[in-house]
Formats: sequence, C-alpha cells, structure tokens
Amino acid sequence: MSNTGNRDESAAFGVLAWIGVGIVSCAVFLAIFSPWLIPYDPTQATENVSMPPPPLSAWPSLFWQTIANGSPTPHWFGTDASGLDVFSRTIEATRTDLIIALSANIVSVIIGVSLGVISGYFRNIWTETLLRTADLLQSFPVFITAMILVALAGRSWVNIVLAMSLLYAPIYLRLTRTEVLALRERSFIEAARALGKTELGIARHHILPNAIGPSLIQFSVTIGFAILLTAGLSFVGAGVRPPTPEWGSMIATGATQLVLGDWWPSLFPGIAISVTVFGFAVCGHVLEKRYGR
Amino acid sequence: MADNKNTVLSARGLSVQYAAENPTLTDINLDIAAGEIVGLTGSSGSGKSTLAYALLGLTRRGAQVTGGKIDFDGHDLLALSDEELERVRGRDIALIVQNPRSALHPMYQVGRQISRVYQAHKDSGRTEAQQRAIEMLRLVGINDPERRSDAFVHELSGGMAQRVLIALALSTNPKLLIADEPTSGLDVTVQAQFLDTMWETSRETGTAMVLVTQEPGILANYCDRVIELDAGHVAKDVSASAFISASTKRSTQSPSAVERERQNHEPLLRVEGLRKTFPLRGTKKVVQAVDDVSLSLFAGESVGLVGESGSGKSTVGRCLLKLLEADAGKITFDGQDLAAIGGHTLRKLRQRIQIVQQDPYDSFDPRWSIEKSLLDPLVIHKIASPAEARGVIEESLSRVSVEFSVLSRRPRDLSAGVLQRIAIARALLMKPDFLVLDEPTSMLAPQDRHVILDVLKRLRTELGLSYLLISHDLTSVASACDRVVVMYLGQVVEVGPTVDIFEKPIHPYTKALIGAHLEENPETRRVERLDRVDLEGEIPSPIDLPVGCYLATRCAHATDACHKERQSLSPFSSHHDVRCMRVGQFELDEAS
Repeated sequence: MSNTGNRDESAAFGVLAWIGVGIVSCAVFLAIFSPWLIPYDPTQATENVSMPPPPLSAWPSLFWQTIANGSPTPHWFGTDASGLDVFSRTIEATRTDLIIALSANIVSVIIGVSLGVISGYFRNIWTETLLRTADLLQSFPVFITAMILVALAGRSWVNIVLAMSLLYAPIYLRLTRTEVLALRERSFIEAARALGKTELGIARHHILPNAIGPSLIQFSVTIGFAILLTAGLSFVGAGVRPPTPEWGSMIATGATQLVLGDWWPSLFPGIAISVTVFGFAVCGHVLEKRYGR
Repeated sequence: MADNKNTVLSARGLSVQYAAENPTLTDINLDIAAGEIVGLTGSSGSGKSTLAYALLGLTRRGAQVTGGKIDFDGHDLLALSDEELERVRGRDIALIVQNPRSALHPMYQVGRQISRVYQAHKDSGRTEAQQRAIEMLRLVGINDPERRSDAFVHELSGGMAQRVLIALALSTNPKLLIADEPTSGLDVTVQAQFLDTMWETSRETGTAMVLVTQEPGILANYCDRVIELDAGHVAKDVSASAFISASTKRSTQSPSAVERERQNHEPLLRVEGLRKTFPLRGTKKVVQAVDDVSLSLFAGESVGLVGESGSGKSTVGRCLLKLLEADAGKITFDGQDLAAIGGHTLRKLRQRIQIVQQDPYDSFDPRWSIEKSLLDPLVIHKIASPAEARGVIEESLSRVSVEFSVLSRRPRDLSAGVLQRIAIARALLMKPDFLVLDEPTSMLAPQDRHVILDVLKRLRTELGLSYLLISHDLTSVASACDRVVVMYLGQVVEVGPTVDIFEKPIHPYTKALIGAHLEENPETRRVERLDRVDLEGEIPSPIDLPVGCYLATRCAHATDACHKERQSLSPFSSHHDVRCMRVGQFELDEAS
C-alpha cells in the first residue's frame, strides 16, 4: 500500500520537476539567444501603433507565409502605443530581468555565505552586530526598501542589483550560519583540528562545502522573487529606464492603454513573469526535496 | 529442548518477508519453556528484532508472515483475529521496548497506566487495579510506590522509568515477556540494576523471557539459553554456558616493561589539577565537567579512563589535545607545557598526540573519499611527497588490517567497524607517540569491538604506542589497558593497575561499577553473586555539586564528615590511589 502510494507521488513529482526545469531552460535559452530570435528591434518604433495581435487561428498561415514567401514578419503579440513590437520586447526582456535577478543573487550569495561562515565560526561582538544588522534589514518590507535605495542611488541596473543584493544577503547569511553552527560541533571538524589543519583551512575545506547546500537551493527560489522585484520596481518607475525592454515597465506602459481595450501590451509580459517565477520556484522546490533535509 | 507440558510458546517453520526482498526469516523453529530466560542474539540485520515482534504476531510496516505457525497456550497466534490477538497481547505476552520514556504516556500518571492495562485485561475493579499497580511498583524496587504511582514520566529518572515499564509489562502476570534491547544506551550501573530487577521479577512470577541483545555480557549473566540468528536462520540454540565458552576470554598482561620505564623516566604525559567548567546559557551557573583531575602516563603505557556518562571522561581527553581550553591545571607532554603554546607549535605537537573519536561516521567529512581524508593530513604536515603518499597510507591501513579498496569509497558506504579502524589509521599517519581513544567502541557491534581492541593491543607491541582508552565498557578496558583511572562526577576516585582495580576495588564507587560489570563468563553470573554493591539513588547534578564527597549521598559507608569535607586522592599502596577518607574502615561498618 504505502509503496505504491509513494511511487504515484514521485511520478507526479517528476512531471512537475520536468515542467520546472523546462521553463527555466527556456528562459535561459531566450535570454542568451534573444538577438537572433527577435524579428524587430525592441527599442525602435514601427509605424504600426497599437496594432492588435493576429487572431490565433491565423498564426499557422502567417507563419508559413513568413518562412516560404519572405513576407514581413507579423507582430505576433501586436504593438504598443509607441509602435514597439511586443513580441520582440517580451523576448528581449527575459535577458534584462534574468541578468538583474541572477547578478543580484550571485552577489548576495557571495556576501551572505561568507559572512554566514564567519559569523557561525567566530562568535564575538562584531558578528553579533552583523547579525542584528541583518535582522534590521530583514525587518523592513523588501519592496519599499528597494524602492528607496534605488531612488537614493539613482536608477541604473547596477544600483538595482546592489540594492537587491543587500536585501537578499541576510537570507543566505542566516541559512549558512545555521549550518555552520551545527557543523562546528561535528567530530570531523575536531579531527581536522587534531590533524593540524589551520582554522582557515577547516573553514575553506570542511565548513564551506558542507554548509553551502541549503543556500544553493534557496538560490533558485530567490531568483524567482528577484525577477518579481525587478519587474515591480520598474512598474512603479524605480527600475530600469525605458525604452530598455523589461517586463515590469512594459506592463506599466501597457496599463494606460488597458482602459482603451488594448490588452496585449500588458498581458504578454505578465504571462512571461508568472511562468518564469513559477519555473524557478518549482526548481527550488525540487532541489529542496532532493538534496535538502 | 523443553518438555512439552512446560512449553509456553513454540514456533514452527516461521518465515517473515519484506515485500520483494529475500526472506528476513526462514523456517524458524523454537520453543520457550515456562520461566526460562532465552537470549536472542545475532549481528545487526540478522532478523532478531523481526523475530521478537513476530512472536507477538506483529510485523513491521511492509513485512509479512509468509508461513509457519506460532503455538502459544493452545492457540496458533498467526491464525487469531486482530481482536483476539489484542486480548492475548498485554495479558499473556508483554513487550518491553528500547526507550522507556517514549513507551510511557506523558500525560497520565504511571500508576494509572499500569492499572488501566490491568483493568482492560483482567476485568478487575478500579481499586483492585490501583492496588495491583502499587504492588507491582514495589516489586520492581521503587521506594514509596504509593506516591510514585501518581508521578508523570517526566518526573521520573531514566532508570526509574524503565522499572515502571517492567511493572507495566508484568502486572498482568504474562506467561511470556519479550524485551527488545532494553538496556542499549544505558550506563553500566543502571543497566545492571534494570536487568537484575527484570531477572528477579521474572523468577518470582514465573514469567518466561525473550531477551533480544547483542551483548555477550548480558547473555552470560542473565540468560539460560541462547538462540543465535544468522541471516534469518537459527544458527545456534544452546545453553548460555556453551555459547559463551565458545567466544572470547579476558586477558591480562604483565606490566613489567612499563614498570622499568616508570622507574627510570619522567612520564610522557602529566596532568595536574585539571579543571573545566561549561557555562550554562542564560544563567550564572556552570556545569562542572572536570574537577581536579591529575594523572600521568608513561611511554608505552596504556591507561583506561572509565566512568559513567557525565563523569567528564571525554572532556579530559579533549583537554589533552587542547581541543578544549582547560580552566585551570597544568598539562605537560614530554616536558612541554600545553598552556604555553599555540599556533604552529601546537599544530606540530598535535602530530605526536592524536585522537580517535566516538562516532566513526561523524569523524570523516561526508563529502570526501577516504583517500582524500587520509591524504589531507600528509599534505598539511608535508610528511610525504605526493608520490610517497600512497605508500604511507597503505602502510597505515595494513596496520589496522583494512583493504586498500576502501580508498575510493565514501564514509557512508563503509561499516562502522571498518571506518573506526580507518580513523585509527588516520591518526597513525602522524606517527604519534600517544593516542587518545574517546569511546572508540561504543557505537560498534560486539564483534567489531573485539577487532578494534586487537588492533590496539597489536599497535602497542609493534609501535610501542601509548594510549588513553576512554570507555564506559569495562570489558574493553580490562583487556587492553595496563592501568585504570576511575572517574565519578569530574573527579578521579581511584587509580591503579588493571588487575587491582578489577579484583580488589577499594572505593565504594569503583566497587559498584565493577560489580555492575557484566563479565562474559557464565561461571560468575551477577545474579548469583552475593556481595553485590549497589549505589542508592541517582547521580547528583553536575551544576549543584555537594560540598563533601560527591558520592556521600549514595554511599552506604558515608559519615557526617563525608558530607562536609572535600576528599583528596591519596596513595593506598604503591601505584594505587583512592579518593576516600574512610579507606580501610568499611569492614568496621560491616562488622557492626
């Protein structure tokens, strides 16, 4: 009974895992190869303003005409009020959002994990102060803090990355520190010390590799949040500057047209955000199930 | 084996199988006679626990009885309905499991738990059941049972909870009691008390017992007959004396070589007045782990450090390598004061003092292969060039008789016994003069224990290695050490040659400890010895220690002075020191 139950569960789990991995790979693929995939320059307006997308039923024939007859590529997702191709911009925005989310996470993992190892290994007034600072940072609402930080530092993608790294680093710090605290008590750390390894060597060769697991799992989950935050900041106008294609700012510019019935400039980037965040969240979940406790 | 009329339970052709695996038990035949105590033994995975549960008509999740019958009291247990089985279980067959605290309900008074079981099975009234509970608690040696029966589990000590469990199991006068490793993880004195109670109670009530255990000491001391399982088959079904004489004997060695060393030289290691406390979080109080320990160890000598859990043995061991900083006291190794050195000098010195830890699985980095773990120390100390390293590692592994194929494996792929030998090999890479072994055998099966001890004895003769063997297992210490240091609550209470400590213990605590030791010898069964020395009550808390002798509250010979005055370790005879002001006066007590 119990065996078959487990198998069903793991099979369903497998499908979900594949969906997550599929979405993430697609997103990464689009981010890397977007210049070769998009039919229009994402920052160059066309003469077709607020053009609705062709009906779905017409897509196959339009597609065929483009390939076979060399007729101009249709605006698959329509164009916005400025005449920019929504399809090209949605694809190109994958690159913007992923780069920002990834770099912010990489920076915060580096900061968070190293501070986590230090604060778990050496427990003194300085590391205590560090922890309280991290607590303080985490007690503010992420979105508001990010907005203020970016507003103060200026709207550039480097500043967005830095602001987000600062906000996410405490997560990795806490996770790593918990692991390090448990690891310090393990016999093999004491054995290494007895065998003459220096404290730095122990931290590098034993503590760090054994403590980093949960952070890597968290990494995948946090990327999803980071994408959401990037888009959110742009939506309220505290993110990357238009016309750089970015999902959040696309939704924001499309939103003004929404009352006129032009749904397409906002809908497609919206779908893109939801699917990508979902994909990363699923991957994080899968990693946690497989490698976490 | 047993006469038909007296047979309580007999199993014929019993087989148990886990889904889609090889059968765990195949064709088991056994008989248990009334009042008999049968030891059920075998290495881990041999199916002993599965068999014990199957005798109750129980299987673990996923397992299934695939054949055979169990005849108990005229019924086939395997043919009974669940409802009928429930009536038999608890009334006629009782079970004692490993962890007493989790087996008792935390929200009911213990007396009520006993009376409820009794009521359910015996259709008795409430008052009768309550009286029965109190009577049972008295029978298992609980003082003031009327009051204790109103206690909850968390108000009882571990040893007492276990006795409640016996009372619970035996309250319905079952014909058969099954105990699944009831004493694993207990200190020797508590273990002996528990087994004594179980033995005496079962003798009194005429209950037959199946005792699942791996300990040869328990088999020799408490069992009439031993059934050994091997891979799901009955390998042996013999009397306890026949079973034990087939296994090993204790050895004592002549300390003559060490004797010479002692007279001519300074000790290799000298510890004076060592003290170590640990602060309790959130309070100003401290836990006194080590309190005034002095000992010395000569080159080539092997010393055993014994005592129950919480006596501070491991803390002493860790202080010797300066893995813990001592609060006070002086540790000198080969003339060098450990307190004065640090950094590079300390790391160099630690090459000469090595440690082997308790849990072999925890003492290796789980991510590293064995080869990497063994190579790392060689690289650190530049002991061997990469080309020579392999040879050095192989030499070290062959010293502990481990095959070289382990090198590519990870710790989790190896058995505890092999891994512990690799841990010794890792320590030997440093070519140490002195080895601290911190409970090296406590996580191992008895067979692996013997291998480790043989390795140690061999290393002593081959390399002249001296070691401090920290252990609560007196059998290990008796066979592998020249001298024994006995610790109680952070103090050394007695030091002397192994033979003296084991045969002529002086200190009341040592006497109790040695008395609780279950020798693997069916000729000297503990239950048949008359001169048993048991300590009363529980170990005092190391947070609020008594002013005078730490044993005074539990000692039968204590006087007023014992409660008030701090005692010191004084020579009793040459090489034999005792911490007791009343040495030599106990006989007076016994005479009066």
